[in-house]
Amino acid sequence: MIPPLLMSFSVYASLITILAIGYTLTYIISHIPNFAHGTYAGLGIYTTYTLTRVMRFNPYISCPVGFVVGGIMGLILYIIVIKTLRMMGGSLIVLTIATLAIQITMDALINIYATFLRIRTESWAFMFVLKLNDFKWLGYQGIFPVSLLLCITIVIILHLFLTRTKMGIAMRATSENVELAQVVGIDADLIQMLSWFITGGLASLSGTLFPLWFECNPSTANRLINVTMAGSLFGGINNIYGAIIGGFFVGATEIIGTTALMYLFGPIVGEYRYMIPLVVVILVLLLEPQGVPGIIKRIRDSTKFASLYSRRRKW
Amino acid sequence: MVESTLVRSIIDIAMFFGLYVILAMALNFQFGNGGVPNMGSAVSVAFGGYIVSAFILRLIFWIGQGANIELGPDWVYDNIHNVDMMTVFFKEHALLGISLFVLALTLGLVLGTLFGYIISFPAIKLQGTYLMITLIAMSEASQVIGRNYVPISGGTLGVRVPNIFSFYEGDRSLLLAIITLSIGIVVFFIFSTMINSPYGRLIRALRENETTLNSTGKNVTGIRRNLLMFSSGITSVVGVLIVFYFSYSTSSIYMMSTYTFWPWLMLLVGGAGNNAGTFLGALLVISIRRLIIIFKWELTEFFWFPVAFLENILLGALLLVTMIFKPNGLIPEKSLYIPGLKYYKLIRESAPVSWRVSHERRSLLDIIQFWRRKERLKSEE
Repeated sequence: MIPPLLMSFSVYASLITILAIGYTLTYIISHIPNFAHGTYAGLGIYTTYTLTRVMRFNPYISCPVGFVVGGIMGLILYIIVIKTLRMMGGSLIVLTIATLAIQITMDALINIYATFLRIRTESWAFMFVLKLNDFKWLGYQGIFPVSLLLCITIVIILHLFLTRTKMGIAMRATSENVELAQVVGIDADLIQMLSWFITGGLASLSGTLFPLWFECNPSTANRLINVTMAGSLFGGINNIYGAIIGGFFVGATEIIGTTALMYLFGPIVGEYRYMIPLVVVILVLLLEPQGVPGIIKRIRDSTKFASLYSRRRKW
Repeated sequence: MVESTLVRSIIDIAMFFGLYVILAMALNFQFGNGGVPNMGSAVSVAFGGYIVSAFILRLIFWIGQGANIELGPDWVYDNIHNVDMMTVFFKEHALLGISLFVLALTLGLVLGTLFGYIISFPAIKLQGTYLMITLIAMSEASQVIGRNYVPISGGTLGVRVPNIFSFYEGDRSLLLAIITLSIGIVVFFIFSTMINSPYGRLIRALRENETTLNSTGKNVTGIRRNLLMFSSGITSVVGVLIVFYFSYSTSSIYMMSTYTFWPWLMLLVGGAGNNAGTFLGALLVISIRRLIIIFKWELTEFFWFPVAFLENILLGALLLVTMIFKPNGLIPEKSLYIPGLKYYKLIRESAPVSWRVSHERRSLLDIIQFWRRKERLKSEE
């Protein structure tokens, strides 16, 4: 029997990992921290709500629908905002402020949509959890195996896509050097569009599964961006595989760490749960901006390790 | 009734214009001139507010206990009773009220500067987007701490602050609006002299090229820290004024969108880099925003959703539209005018260039000017 705390951690960490992978991919390809990334998850959350509560479908149908909705949203935002600003020579700071503006606007639109749902369908769209609509698997909630399997599948597919397909290799080339990639004949604009579609879709896909375990409201998405950023930064913001470590680390600190501290210091610690990702962000940026890969590199470069290495190589 | 609404709206807009123009000028000093993207002005504003709610309010109650006023024991639940008693007390002690206000402003400036030193630790290492992420995380953290740690700002209930201007019979908000606008004028003169000083040229060099500045032997991290410290102090003063205007302090009034994104919008609409643009942007944006808030009831008849969301859409959409269609703002940055510097000496050519050698076709006027200048230079010699 798996304890519910571990199940909660597994679901949360898998979904955060999917978000962090998308965030990292955006940072690698476009070099901007996309503050609107969490808001894509809000789109996914309300896709699930609409399809499950209003249209009475199975909640898992919203996974592909949410992917397409989030992907199209990401594509539209790229074409209308990011591409235009970049053509005009906007600096990285301007682009980042643009993503913040997108976050504010999309957050307001999601709130308006929730109001619309509440008025139109007379359902409580401002605070909901869809645990009852989930199926049971060996006595567990269905979301527990599904989220973990989905996370692993996405990691494997993305790995194969980036290393085996022509498009993925072109994407990696563009992330290294845009001008050189264009010289070889890669359509950099197409790569950017594809990456924005994939990241938007992945974030929205992760969001579609949130209401099946956690209580959701329109501002959940705003909070998720902090957690995503913490995971991505912990894994080194330039490393997709680091995002997996980061996502699971932040999930563990937020769920297991808070519970452990609550046992030690009393329930007052539970209020400060939202501080944990923020503290992780600040500490990582202050101590080691490169995250886990930076720490590994530092250990590898340290004199002790180097002397060990050289002793073996002496012969 | 209509007149009073009009007067109230004008006072309200004036007060908020004063508050936001200080915020926007501080951002203009940091981003427009120094190139440091400070997304954490909400932290400093919250810090200024917490100074009043955590320190000045306790001082006021301590004074009240010394004056034998019966105050309730609990800091949050007896707050309204205590505040009423103290407001009556300040009716007869005008000098005490004014000195407490001045003390609050001074503490805001001094402690805000010290707080700026603390939040500038990331600025020593980080730059650009990383700094933005850190400061945004800090503003959210300040909200979480203020909401859950009751002694700072009364937790979720918040605390009221007594009216220390109760000796004044008329409209208190008019008094505060005048004070805020005069502080704004002082801040404007401080910033414009700083920008025109040698140090101002130094921070402009930091914005243009950091590596070059570093290579000339200037301490780049030190300059950046000074920028953040100075602006943080001035931004904390805004927080102090806000608490006295609202007579209320709770963590959720120092929202990131209110005190970080709206000032950024003003800065970008008006045009980063010059204070005239900042004034124009602040006036435009504040008028739109306060009018939406004042006529909220009339607007709700047109929209079926709460107008607060309309405000957020307006904020985001205006930011995007400004950045796409007017990237330099309404008043673009001009080259700096430094009083006392003789510009014509910088521009004047030392050796006359023959127009026959030049590849460009010159007009007759140019030729005449050329010969005239040549003669003038000869005569000077």
